[in-house]
Amino acid sequence: MDQPSSFESQLAELLPRLRRFAHGLSRDAADADDLTQAAIERALNSRDQWQPGTRLDSWAYRIMRNLWIDTVRSRSRKAAHEAPEEEGLNVGEDPRNRMDESLDLKRIMTAMERLPDEQREIVALILIEGFGYREVSEMLGLPIGTVSSRLVRGRTALLAMVGER
Amino acid sequence: MTDEEKFFAWLDGELDAAQAAEVEARVAADPRLSRLADQHRALGAQLRGAFDPIAAAPAPERLQAALPPRAELVDFAARKRARMPSLPQWAAMAATLAVGLFVGTMMPQRGNAPLEVQAGKLYAASDLSRALDTRLASAPAGDVRIGLTFRAKGGEICRSFVGPAASGLACRKDGRWQVRGMFAAPEGQTGNYRMATGMDPNLAALVGSAMAGEPFDAAAEKAAKDKGWR
Repeated sequence: MDQPSSFESQLAELLPRLRRFAHGLSRDAADADDLTQAAIERALNSRDQWQPGTRLDSWAYRIMRNLWIDTVRSRSRKAAHEAPEEEGLNVGEDPRNRMDESLDLKRIMTAMERLPDEQREIVALILIEGFGYREVSEMLGLPIGTVSSRLVRGRTALLAMVGER
Repeated sequence: MTDEEKFFAWLDGELDAAQAAEVEARVAADPRLSRLADQHRALGAQLRGAFDPIAAAPAPERLQAALPPRAELVDFAARKRARMPSLPQWAAMAATLAVGLFVGTMMPQRGNAPLEVQAGKLYAASDLSRALDTRLASAPAGDVRIGLTFRAKGGEICRSFVGPAASGLACRKDGRWQVRGMFAAPEGQTGNYRMATGMDPNLAALVGSAMAGEPFDAAAEKAAKDKGWR
């Protein structure tokens, strides 16, 4: 049953999703990739703590989220909030020539950046990553009611922000 | 849960069938809520539209360095399917018992287990049996939701169902519901199955192989119920 390569392979399979989550958490693309790298390294080093038969994705997401919390806490409040310069997602300098769709993407990502951290992580996990409330409650060690109320506040704030013109 | 939280839980497919039906009725009757539901669905689509390209794009090389190249990866989805309990063969007594016990411990109980084994065959019991007898797909209530109702190739009527921990197919045999197959809900979804989730692929395959013709529409389902599922 013990296949040394399968853990790593499964983690590699998760990489794109973990990276997307890192971008949901971080306000900056470079930070997001640093966070992804740190989470992959931590997961590989802590592989003994993962229990086969449980979900590897929840476990790896939890590692990433805890690393992110550590980073946020240790960082001073200097945080120059730049918009993520993710290639392929840039709206470009002149939005007049762009589709409304691209404007929406830009607007929604900026809105995500403006959410408080504790709402943003839950919005990212449920609305982007597709986890259920209970999964997120277990992953973050929060009561399900807290997950639910933060999600309501987060998505309501997002809708208000993307509605602004 | 506040009404507002319930509304969003409904939107996210987090409510059980009874609560979902209640919120759905409330939303349908209130144009303001209907509009809000549309706005939030669009918001969800926008979020995914903004972030999905990150998952679709190749990760920078430094992130892949510590991991095996993805080209070498086995088909994870296929392996996951292979690991899922897939038990269309109910003649195997041992397997039947194992699943009976499994489901017995997994499903919320208000008394009896939802399954019973007789002469090596598995039958619906208690809540599950009642749901199969009385519920219509169009009027979900309680923990067990009915999916498709159809006539099988042997002429008997079969119904697919979704419970909190498992989904399955039961067919009418000698006045009882014989369970032809039952599949555990994906891990992490037990006790809180999501309405938005489609039919379990194993169950879909079983339904596909059993069905003769088309599934019943609401009128045919009602008529079959009135005739005692014969």
